[in-house]
Amino acid sequence: MTTEPRPVVDASSPREASSAQMPTTASSATGSIFDLGYRGYEGPRLGRQHAVYALFVYSLRSAYGIGRSGRAKIVPIGLAILATLPAVISIAVRAFAAQAGAGAEVERIDPIRYDSYYGYIPTIVMLFVAAQAPELLGRDQRHHVLSLYFSRALLRIDYALAKAAAFVTAILVLILIPQAVIFVGLVISNPDIVGALADNVGSIPPVLAVAATIALLLGSIGLAIAAFTPRRAYATATIMAIFIVPGVVADIVIRATTSGLTRYIVLVSPGSLLDGVNAFLFGTEPQAREVVRADLAGALYLAAAAAFVVVLIGALVRRYQRIEA
Amino acid sequence: MALIALDQLTKRFPGVTALDALTLELEPGVIGLVGSNGAGKSTLLKILLGLLPPTSGRATVMGLDTARDGTRVRELVGYMPEHDALPPDNSATELVAHLAQMSGLPPAAARERTAEVLRHVGLFEERYRPIGGYSTGMKQRVKLAQALVHDPRLLLLDEPTNGLDPSGRDEMLALVKRTGTEFGIAVMVASHLLGEIARVCDFLVAIEAGHLLSAAPLATFTGQTGVLAVEVEEGSDALAAALAARGIQTRVDGRAVLIGLDGHDSAEHEYDVVRDTIVDLGLPLVRLEHRRHSLEDLFRDRPDDERPVAAP
Repeated sequence: MTTEPRPVVDASSPREASSAQMPTTASSATGSIFDLGYRGYEGPRLGRQHAVYALFVYSLRSAYGIGRSGRAKIVPIGLAILATLPAVISIAVRAFAAQAGAGAEVERIDPIRYDSYYGYIPTIVMLFVAAQAPELLGRDQRHHVLSLYFSRALLRIDYALAKAAAFVTAILVLILIPQAVIFVGLVISNPDIVGALADNVGSIPPVLAVAATIALLLGSIGLAIAAFTPRRAYATATIMAIFIVPGVVADIVIRATTSGLTRYIVLVSPGSLLDGVNAFLFGTEPQAREVVRADLAGALYLAAAAAFVVVLIGALVRRYQRIEA
Repeated sequence: MALIALDQLTKRFPGVTALDALTLELEPGVIGLVGSNGAGKSTLLKILLGLLPPTSGRATVMGLDTARDGTRVRELVGYMPEHDALPPDNSATELVAHLAQMSGLPPAAARERTAEVLRHVGLFEERYRPIGGYSTGMKQRVKLAQALVHDPRLLLLDEPTNGLDPSGRDEMLALVKRTGTEFGIAVMVASHLLGEIARVCDFLVAIEAGHLLSAAPLATFTGQTGVLAVEVEEGSDALAAALAARGIQTRVDGRAVLIGLDGHDSAEHEYDVVRDTIVDLGLPLVRLEHRRHSLEDLFRDRPDDERPVAAP
């Protein structure tokens, strides 16, 4: 938690000050044990609720490698930058174009907008999930840390749900930062700020709804797989496969068959589901070929995504109820 | 009220009875829990933590039913598991402070207690370095620190000297003893090494194959002086024969000749005889030592019908 080295003896603390002897570096080399007198803890014990909250915060931070080594930060922070960069660049281009008097042309070729940005972001989120879900769950399983958790104030279900909530929140951050950049960029680059604000506010509900769908669906897939696959490399590979393969298969099946029923296969592909949900909530046309071909009702994608999330989180909780620790 | 009370406590797993109708009341102190591997020690500790439900019977810790009030029990109990349980890329400070919060301590108190407890277990500058680079002895100290950090009323230690070298064992045992005496925290130490347990505890509980073998103050067991092991490079059979001829009963175990020293006074004489016999035979002597007490010693002289039978 705390990464800053604190002085061994803190004079401001009465407890520390009460012990007259001070351990020295020389003593640490031999590892000898000093008689400093043990003091009990009389302070508050906040119990299970606090433990769950603290685990949520800790897991959210470690999803981005915060409080961990520099190497643990490379992938999550790098992906966050990749997610945000196109938004920043497109807003910058738009601003420069407007200043150069070419604003109308840029507007016409339609640079990144909220809905089209969601065609790009699931790929980044998939990579983030494949990299960080095993990090969040696999580490504690691989190193048998769970027995240290479960012998404390929190329950097994608390652990599973706190981890899930932290991971979904981490993905939401990943998604919503670029969307916030687009929002702010569109508003302030417009000469008529109030008018632009009014234009863009209407986009907020679908932006949030799609973000929640992406975070919940991809997050719960990643967590459910990582919970059953302690080995990091296997978990990452399995998660990527589950994200990519069903969409390809669905596309082939729909193209190869003429029966109307086979087009429902598109509902098992996470990427296709998100494309369908995105089109449904923004009222636009789907982008993925298999989704266009399947031509299902938009609400069906949302319902299927919700069903997957419930089943997967259930599987995650069940796994932690039974796991050996 | 007893610290720990077991009432007909039974735990069955598919195909094996891990604990068979244990009934026991234990008062605060340093309690040794001895039994060979698979005797049911870890199962008992997990039931006391409320992590496993008993098949039948009841276990209470400080009056709290472990099956019903598991969360309350775990706030008051510290647990040091047997196996390695530390993430290598965290520092001891980070891990222990985080786990303190998992026990319900507020963040500031968690950090303060962490600094204090790590110092008590003898981790100083190295506590800011990743655990992956620690020696086994340091890792065991971190495991003990995380069990102590929330100032529990009872500490459950599962094989705390596992994997330690002799001096590491001595230091860990001294720490355990200090925890029980100076810190005023009741301790239950599970181990398969009777000799180690005997050095720190004042009450001994012996279980075998899920049955209670004995539960008594340590003094009851100290009458046993153990076994003298004479290890020779070669000729252990000849040595055994020669010793038998001089009236000392032995048992050959590979290169070692084991001699039961059952009386304190006669031991002096037996040492002399052993020494002289080795000299007379001109045997290359490797080692002459008191065998460490193990659970086997406790069981060795029991008649067969008193020995616990293996669970079906």
